[in-house]
Amino acid sequence: MKRPNFFRSNSTLFGVLAAIILLSVLGFATMGQVPFVRTTLSGLTLGSLYFMVAAGLTLIFGLMDVLNFAHGAMFMVGAYLGWQFYTNPTILFGILPLILALITGLFAANILRHYLMGVNLSEKAQKSIVPALVLISLVVIFLAVRGLDILGMAKTAMVATMTASDPLGEISAQEPLAIFWVRPILMFIAGLLLAASAARPGDKTQVVYSKELKSAWITVGILAVATVVAVVIRESGPVAVLLLNADLRFFASLLVGALCGAGLGAAIEVSLVRPLYVKSVFLVIATLGLANVLRETIMVLWDPLAYQMTRPPLFSQPGKAENIGAWFSGHNVTVDILGVTFPSYRLFIILLGVLMIITLGVVMKYSRLGMIIRAGVQDRTMVEALGINVRKVFTIVFMLGAALAALGGIGAAPFIPVQPNMGDAYQLQAFIVVVIGGLGSFSGAAIGALLLGLARAFGDYFALKFSLSPAIAEASTVIIMAIVLLVRPAGLFGKKE
Amino acid sequence: MDNILEVNAIQTFIGQFHILEGVSVQVRRNAITVMLGRNGAGKTTTLKSILGLTPPRHGTVVFDGQEIQGRRAYDIAALGIGYVPEHRAIFRNLTVAENLKIAERKKGDLDSKADFIFGLFPDLKRLIRLPGNHLSGGQQQMLAVARALVADNKLLLIDEPSEGLAPILIEQMMEAIRALSATTTVLLVEQNFFMASKLAEYYYIIDDGRTAHEGKMVDLIEDKELIHRTLGAAVRKG
Repeated sequence: MKRPNFFRSNSTLFGVLAAIILLSVLGFATMGQVPFVRTTLSGLTLGSLYFMVAAGLTLIFGLMDVLNFAHGAMFMVGAYLGWQFYTNPTILFGILPLILALITGLFAANILRHYLMGVNLSEKAQKSIVPALVLISLVVIFLAVRGLDILGMAKTAMVATMTASDPLGEISAQEPLAIFWVRPILMFIAGLLLAASAARPGDKTQVVYSKELKSAWITVGILAVATVVAVVIRESGPVAVLLLNADLRFFASLLVGALCGAGLGAAIEVSLVRPLYVKSVFLVIATLGLANVLRETIMVLWDPLAYQMTRPPLFSQPGKAENIGAWFSGHNVTVDILGVTFPSYRLFIILLGVLMIITLGVVMKYSRLGMIIRAGVQDRTMVEALGINVRKVFTIVFMLGAALAALGGIGAAPFIPVQPNMGDAYQLQAFIVVVIGGLGSFSGAAIGALLLGLARAFGDYFALKFSLSPAIAEASTVIIMAIVLLVRPAGLFGKKE
Repeated sequence: MDNILEVNAIQTFIGQFHILEGVSVQVRRNAITVMLGRNGAGKTTTLKSILGLTPPRHGTVVFDGQEIQGRRAYDIAALGIGYVPEHRAIFRNLTVAENLKIAERKKGDLDSKADFIFGLFPDLKRLIRLPGNHLSGGQQQMLAVARALVADNKLLLIDEPSEGLAPILIEQMMEAIRALSATTTVLLVEQNFFMASKLAEYYYIIDDGRTAHEGKMVDLIEDKELIHRTLGAAVRKG
């Protein structure tokens, strides 16, 4: 019997690490300490962000064969919404009740199915009622948001950041509750209409289990309560958030960005991706189109400008900390690391990336969900044949992937400009990471991101040093991909088909 | 009711191909029923249609008293049907332990079944920490069967357990299937007529997407002419 040899079974991992260490020693010897450490740290920062985009991408592809071209848009949306929450959350609190109301209605689909499937309708009526319901619900949504000053709410926040004035003074007055409450109710009705169309009234072949019915009632109940709460805190919420300690508000905005990404990811999977699984080519076009729609929507709401998110006080006190320990008391904007003055915020990004790799790695290796994902990447039909609802797992993975990309976006916002196309470059690099690491491999994504981040940073350094065109630095990642694919066509950790 | 599964004249299409044109199979409780037939006759598709992996377009499938055709595969499996696919489709990148663990439908399934499973396949206990792709073909096949035993299944669908196994391993596999049929019902697809005739009590012969013959195995063994006419090559191979 073959004994599993720890070193032999992880030979790829050790090979790549050995190559990185070898190159590091070479780099250290030729470059000198200061430029080497600085470039390495920059590379790790980039690698962290690449990982957060690539992890979702690779799992979504591995599990569902979906190349999600809207993944970079998740990065961007996360950055915008998190940044909004940090600077002026008025627009988020203003829209939240409407979205919750719509979702509440949508979750009633199984309840409606239970009551409507018995209705006697002619076959013709059954067919025409579905688009009719969708059309009516669109009209109702239009009525619900008519005259709502979404643009104004976004613009206010914009001004607040640009002038860097006291954001509390910039909170725009919202509609009085006496007028506003009609909107969520209309949204709820629109959600119900959409749910009714999904329930296919009159189609008696459907089955609704009592267990499903019960859970639908509970979900709708919880969401309804959440909607009412969201309506009530609509005006006091933004003020309360802005009065929070700025550091706390920053960490909350990371969470909000990730949650928004998760919500958006789930919505996309259920509405757009799920009906198209059987035709995965269409999904490329659908997700590409979706990325454009999201980008244009952001442009309408926030104008096609670039914004800079201010760093939280935790990472912006003037001066330089002499070492990491000193930073903990001083919260300085830069830290001295091995003789290099490096922004403390970027160290935080490296930490965030490492934390995410560890957390996800543990989830993938030890949790039941991770086990199902790894099994599903290989053979999702067999997973389903074991009695596991694979579609639910698809939704969860899509949601997690989008959340992680959005977290990357809001994490990057304090040091790259927040603009509508900010996700594109990261999406492209993440695709390269995924190809290098092997499609569907989680550890491949982690190693690939590290490799690519370092390559990009060192490419930039050498391009600058030898006054070459920066295009060479950009090409360095593609060159690495070409080399890896020549040696291992399935990627570093890919399975031979 | 003594039939745990009744497949009534199902018709299944894969893409535009009409694979099953009327297959009917009755599986009696606590017995081994085997489906025989030439390659491409539709035996595997019948198993997949029962499980909802290739849902039948016409006909009914009644499991334990309720119609299940048209339901999603995970839903059907969760009713208590275990599936051992052909070609030893285990999860190669998961360890043996994980391959078994993932088949749990409720916590503790594996713990309560462990003695039974490792009693049937003592090899697996020794290999428990190895990844699936380190196992030999026979060990993989045993793992595939063991995986279907973890949850409380009332019916096992086993597709060609002898495929590509050495004779000594076929013996061991036969022993295991006979032992597990004491506690559950088995619907077997088998090319190896020797193995099928030793194990099964009832037989169905599927030909060109239809049920061609059915009856008791003891009668089929006598009927050399029918065997030769419908199974041809399959007999000589066994």
